[in-house]
Amino acid sequence: MENPEKKPNTRGIWDWFDPRGRKVGGWGFILNRLSAIGLTVYLYLHLVMLGKLAQGPEAYDSFIAFAKQPLILFGEILVIIGGLYHGLNGIRIALNSFGVGVNAQKQLLYGVLTLTIVGSLIFGLRMIAAH
Amino acid sequence: MSEEKWTVNFVVYRKKGEGEPHYQTFTLEVSPDEYVIDGVERIWAFHDRSLVFAHACHHSTCGACGMRVNGVEKLTCITRIRDVTTNGGTLRIEPLRNFPVISDLVVDMSRLYVGMDKVHAPAVHPLSMAPLEGEGIKPPREVPMDDGKEYLRLADCIECGLCISACPIAGTAEEYLGPAVLAAAQLQGLNRAPDLTAIVDCVDGVWRCHSAYECTAVCPSNVDPGWRIMDLRRQVLAQRIRRWFGAA
Amino acid sequence: MSQYHAIVIGAGFTGVAIAHDLALRGFRVTVVERGPIANGTSGRTHGLLHSGARYAVNDQESAIECIQENQILRLIVPDAIEPNGGLFIAVDESDLEYREKFIKGCEECKIPIRELTPKEALRIEPNLNPKLLTAFTVPDGTFDPLRLALAFAATAKSNGAVFHLYTDVVDLLTDGQGNIKGVKVWNRAADKRFEIEGDIVVNATGAWVGQITSMAGIRVPIAPTPGVMVAYDKRLTQRAINRLNKPGDGDIVLPQRRMMVVGTTSFSIEDPDYVPVLPDHVALMIERGSELIPALRQTKERGAYMATRPLIGSGAPGRSISRTFKAYDHKETDNVEGLVTITGGKATTLRLMAEKTVDLVCKKLGVNAPCTTAETPLISYRKFFVN
Repeated sequence: MENPEKKPNTRGIWDWFDPRGRKVGGWGFILNRLSAIGLTVYLYLHLVMLGKLAQGPEAYDSFIAFAKQPLILFGEILVIIGGLYHGLNGIRIALNSFGVGVNAQKQLLYGVLTLTIVGSLIFGLRMIAAH
Repeated sequence: MSEEKWTVNFVVYRKKGEGEPHYQTFTLEVSPDEYVIDGVERIWAFHDRSLVFAHACHHSTCGACGMRVNGVEKLTCITRIRDVTTNGGTLRIEPLRNFPVISDLVVDMSRLYVGMDKVHAPAVHPLSMAPLEGEGIKPPREVPMDDGKEYLRLADCIECGLCISACPIAGTAEEYLGPAVLAAAQLQGLNRAPDLTAIVDCVDGVWRCHSAYECTAVCPSNVDPGWRIMDLRRQVLAQRIRRWFGAA
Repeated sequence: MSQYHAIVIGAGFTGVAIAHDLALRGFRVTVVERGPIANGTSGRTHGLLHSGARYAVNDQESAIECIQENQILRLIVPDAIEPNGGLFIAVDESDLEYREKFIKGCEECKIPIRELTPKEALRIEPNLNPKLLTAFTVPDGTFDPLRLALAFAATAKSNGAVFHLYTDVVDLLTDGQGNIKGVKVWNRAADKRFEIEGDIVVNATGAWVGQITSMAGIRVPIAPTPGVMVAYDKRLTQRAINRLNKPGDGDIVLPQRRMMVVGTTSFSIEDPDYVPVLPDHVALMIERGSELIPALRQTKERGAYMATRPLIGSGAPGRSISRTFKAYDHKETDNVEGLVTITGGKATTLRLMAEKTVDLVCKKLGVNAPCTTAETPLISYRKFFVN
């Protein structure tokens, strides 16, 4: 029929993050994507940081001094939150994929979120205390 | 149905040929107990004969009238106006996502039909393949046919495409089979239809799903594709495990 | 093989079946439809594959057509049919009085029926009214309206038919002497207007035939007769349940997927383009439906809709008009060459309606090609969308 381009009606990756009209599972997906992208970006930053070691002790030490800033600390807490959420949600999806708890996926997601918040609080508070 | 009358603004997505899409507002007096498709059909009948929209059965057995209503995929023939807006409120009517738009509210769903064909999804199947639940009323099941043959019934999936539109991954993975197709494969079972394993056990099959469960949230026809995709994964995994031990 | 080009207006049941039949008989076929496939009366049928028993007493011509076509459709398009049979049940004395006439009528029309005791009926369909007095099994079925039409359309398409959907016929093309030689159309999807010329135009627009023939200044005796149907949110029987009585309001309760559909009513209108769903008719459906299946009262309404039957004749109210069909050659009736109109009939007889119409077209054009649709299985309805 009449659609010469046959381009699907989609905004591509922007539709991943559009929360309008999404239900609980969809929110779980959005958080999963966001945490995945965050962790990927962090992985590269981490590798760059490790690269400083190759440049000698001074470069590394000056970087560590720089990294004591509160903003970086905030970033590290985000990594903890993202890592916990992504890991725990991964377990939820893996369980579902073995046919376990599919009909309780919402409840499992609430559990994942609760554990993420609790875990983040514990780690976050310790990190701030140690700062 | 009450005598109550509401005034509702239908904000309708319009697109013709190569033209740019835009939204057009039609203000209608409706009964809140009417269904969204009734309003859309009245826009065509009394306001603008150029409107292009799809519909056929008006009672959720054909799956033609899927649209996005205020951003959520709905089968408009069973969506009461009362449940999606208020008196004086707005109904934003858009075509489904992740399919090419033919015009206005109509999309080209060949993607779905090609997939359903590929997994030879049964349109009519034995009752036992998907039994009917009772829910407190004597369920008409496990009653043999007069001549001892098994009952047949029309499949639950009406191929409306809502699940593909709601799937956040279907937009970025054009080759993804999609929820309805995987659900149709699960319905048959990999043991009964072993040729399906190769079709579904691949990146654009069960493993493309990212468990947003939006398909199940929008399915108007009791298919529960989210659960079926997960069960299909279980079947695939079980087959692999059996194969490992079988080979050993 | 004829090289004639036939234009079919309307892609409802009759239109798609005619397109299929024409294509099989070697015609070049173009179908013009203002909406998608089966968006008018056809899509909105109840979905009962009639055994004919409904008409066996007072409309035997329709009844015989139904039972024959019922058996053919089961074979050529199994993908769209639940062949689970049906029951006629009596729930009061007036129903019982109809029993003798019913048995005699079914026998005359060769419709196989079998009487069940109330106990037997309740065993196979536990949700029936427990007060039922007698029951008959009939070879009814449930069909999926859209997919039945699509199967014909898909097969026609695979045999070369071209479908212009979302395309309105805005006028008929004439040769200057009033004879029809094509159609002037408006494709609303692309917003383009163009003309299609053909050797014959078949007007298969059902309740809308008058709108097309009026473009040629012709009146057809057609009475658009809508009826309301209501779908309920739970499947309560395996079989189609009919009231053992003469045709009336809400006398058929049909299972479909996980639903029950109750129909229908009958009233007259002028313009079939938009007919409201009347609330009192919806109320009547639950009233009448629950006399057959009491549990309907505890189930939620899922949808309410209306379809406009194209009944032949004018003036007389709905139920007394025969449900058979008629093909008009407007050369004979109005001295207009090039136009054939088919209307009336019912979903179950779509193939037969097409056969008779295409027979007429062939006779007019001097084409000698027998109808083979009764023996030709249809391809999957999905192929309509797969190029």
